[in-house]
Amino acid sequence: MNVLQVRDLTKRHGHKHGLVRAVDGVDLDVPAGQLLAVTGPSGCGKSTLLHLLGGLERPTSGQVWLAGQRVDTAGERALARLRRRSVGFVFQSFHLVEELTAAENVELPVLLAGGSPRAARRRAGQLLDQVGLAHRARRQPWRLSGGERQRVAVARALANEPLVVLADEPTGNLDTAATNEVLRLFADLRAMGQTVVLVTHDARVAATADRLISMRDGVFVDDAWLGGPAGRLGDLFAMGD
Amino acid sequence: MVRLVLGDLRRHPGPAALLVLSTLVATAVLSLGMSLPGATERLYLQTRAATAGPDVVVVAPGRSRAADAALRSLEDVPGVAARSRTYRTFFTEITTGGGAVRAAVLGADAEPGPIDRPLVTSGAWVRPGGVVVERGFAGALRLRVGDRVTVGGRSFPVVGVAVTAARMVYPWATMGGPDGGPSDRSGLVWLHERDTRALAGADVPAASLVYLRLRDPGATAAFRAVYHESHDPAVRLNAFTWPFIAHQGAVYLRDGQPILIVGGWLLSFMAVAGLSTLAAGRAAGQARRAGLLKVVGATPGLIAVVLLTEYLALALLADAAGLALTRLVAPLVVNPSGSLLTADAGPSGPIAAMTTVVAVGVAILTALAPAVRALRTDAVTTLAPAVGRPDHLVLLSRLAGLLPVPLLLGLRLVARRPGRALLHAGSAATTAVGLTVLLMVDAQPDQGWDFGGVTVADLMDDRSRLLLLGVTGAMAALAVVNTLTTTWTTVRESQATMAVARTLGATPGQVTAGLATAQLLPALPGALAGIPLGLFAQWFFGHQNTPQPVTPWVWLVPPALLLATAALAAVPARFAVRRPVAETLRAEAA
Repeated sequence: MNVLQVRDLTKRHGHKHGLVRAVDGVDLDVPAGQLLAVTGPSGCGKSTLLHLLGGLERPTSGQVWLAGQRVDTAGERALARLRRRSVGFVFQSFHLVEELTAAENVELPVLLAGGSPRAARRRAGQLLDQVGLAHRARRQPWRLSGGERQRVAVARALANEPLVVLADEPTGNLDTAATNEVLRLFADLRAMGQTVVLVTHDARVAATADRLISMRDGVFVDDAWLGGPAGRLGDLFAMGD
Repeated sequence: MVRLVLGDLRRHPGPAALLVLSTLVATAVLSLGMSLPGATERLYLQTRAATAGPDVVVVAPGRSRAADAALRSLEDVPGVAARSRTYRTFFTEITTGGGAVRAAVLGADAEPGPIDRPLVTSGAWVRPGGVVVERGFAGALRLRVGDRVTVGGRSFPVVGVAVTAARMVYPWATMGGPDGGPSDRSGLVWLHERDTRALAGADVPAASLVYLRLRDPGATAAFRAVYHESHDPAVRLNAFTWPFIAHQGAVYLRDGQPILIVGGWLLSFMAVAGLSTLAAGRAAGQARRAGLLKVVGATPGLIAVVLLTEYLALALLADAAGLALTRLVAPLVVNPSGSLLTADAGPSGPIAAMTTVVAVGVAILTALAPAVRALRTDAVTTLAPAVGRPDHLVLLSRLAGLLPVPLLLGLRLVARRPGRALLHAGSAATTAVGLTVLLMVDAQPDQGWDFGGVTVADLMDDRSRLLLLGVTGAMAALAVVNTLTTTWTTVRESQATMAVARTLGATPGQVTAGLATAQLLPALPGALAGIPLGLFAQWFFGHQNTPQPVTPWVWLVPPALLLATAALAAVPARFAVRRPVAETLRAEAA
């Protein structure tokens, strides 16, 4: 069953001579449990694609379906409900709420989805434990390392058990050790059967995926099945350590 | 440097306009309040110069040969340089379309003598068969040239309106009254000498008077000390010196001065509150500017000048505009009942200097801290994307986790900037104080402009109400500006947080409500605190011995303020949520 379906998706910016086709008529099916990596040079449209999949931007044309629900035509309230329940975002710049602690950042989506404060605290504790940051729960983001911040962001993305996690360059701001921490986390997600679409220009990160799509100038130029990351990840961690 | 300042003004016209508006209102009210002491006396001096006003007016109640002789003998008093002829004043009523009004009718010559030459401001001077009305009196009765009034049973057309320095301002025209006692309920009209004969024959109460010119106009005290010795002690004479007449007008402004001075300082506080928020909101951008200037080799001194010049220039511009506004408004405020000329009623040099110091102080208070912070921060740090280490109140943040989403977002925004919340609360409290005082004063019975009995108290009350209305209106205007400024700044600072909240499923409505809540939370205690403070202020500056019952309208102040705050805060908040989330996140990551 496909969690995500995209048909003839197009996003243009600007007018006439300044027209940029960020995404130019792409089709895509992402089955449940797949870890899909989208790679390509800067400005090829991969981040825009991710934003369109999560309803953060409106497409110029085309259709996006998430678990059978149209995303491209949904109203703002419907999109908000969709993001609460079905989508988790991870960003290159972490985008944690700086005035909240790590635990409060993870609690926030649960509270927004109508969960009780008690349920939110319990879920945050569970997820921070899962990403190995239970001991950092009361720290604010600026007191965490880059890798720790991104692990908090991943925990926050998983707070409402989303159908799909959309990750935009999740290791783009991290050093090698922190990158390895996050890669281990994505390997765990894949093992749990979590559907993930991640955008990256880092070949090491792309190599962890089940499937790799290469983009250039807004179109898919390659779509390859990598057959599972277990062996490669083991090699990578050995190299990184 | 000029190019940098002008460039920034072009890029950010909104904050510049807010800065000018806030400072302008504060300096205008403050300079007006400080201009009041002595203002009426200055207007009197202008009127005196323009009308050849006497140094002394001596009045003898009644009409008798002895009184006339006593008045004539005053020219022999040491120090007296000249004396007018003896004039008669009749105390009667005049009738207009609005009813009967007490008036002092002064018999006048078609060509005024060398002492007291009333200045006609409308129409012409008195002639047989026509009446000239003193300008303050005419204003109160809404009389114009061409209208008709009845004096002593005979109808006269109003042929002119004039001002004089020989009488106290309306409604003190009787100058001692028909029996020599005080009276503050009359206006002045001039009739030709011939036309007053009917009044003389009708046995209307009257008084005789002469105008004196002294060799030394400043020697009025010496004249008062000796003038009784020149005449028959059985004749009672009342001498009104020009300093005494000048001083009477200032009585009208006695209640108005605290309203303007206190109002001016409160408005200055509101200006500082709004502008501090504005400056704090622009601090990140200013720090980045400082970083860029450091990179290209600017010295700390030059950077400080660039960062401060814009605020200082705008503050000086606003100060100049505020002083100009005061110059326009002051004649209306300081001229009691319109009886004096208002050629020059603007703020004096020292007052202009004082308000300029206040305006510059406001600019420095608001811009200095962000400028110093920008100077002390490393260039690389200022150029890097903003990584927050925000001020925050942990308890409020924890509490927020227990609340519905809009309250959760709002409380966390408040917790993020507690100082700003405090300023916003102060601003709301100040507005509530103004509104409470206004409502309390409005609830008191209006003395009214009863034609038959206009008193000085009526005029003072009327003037105070108008001033209070003006100051409260200015406070309300600044409160609107401050609410918009605070929300706009909060929106700017929290746009990344709000965008992240939206990626987590917050709806635009929840984000808007959260931003509005962030303004409502500090406004609520401020509005509530403003009521007792306002009641105290009204008691303190009002009639302390007669406590007034609290009008029920006062209890509507907090809900009205909160509704207005919510509505105003929703405007920039709605604009903010229209921006696509992805665009905001990209901008923050850049």
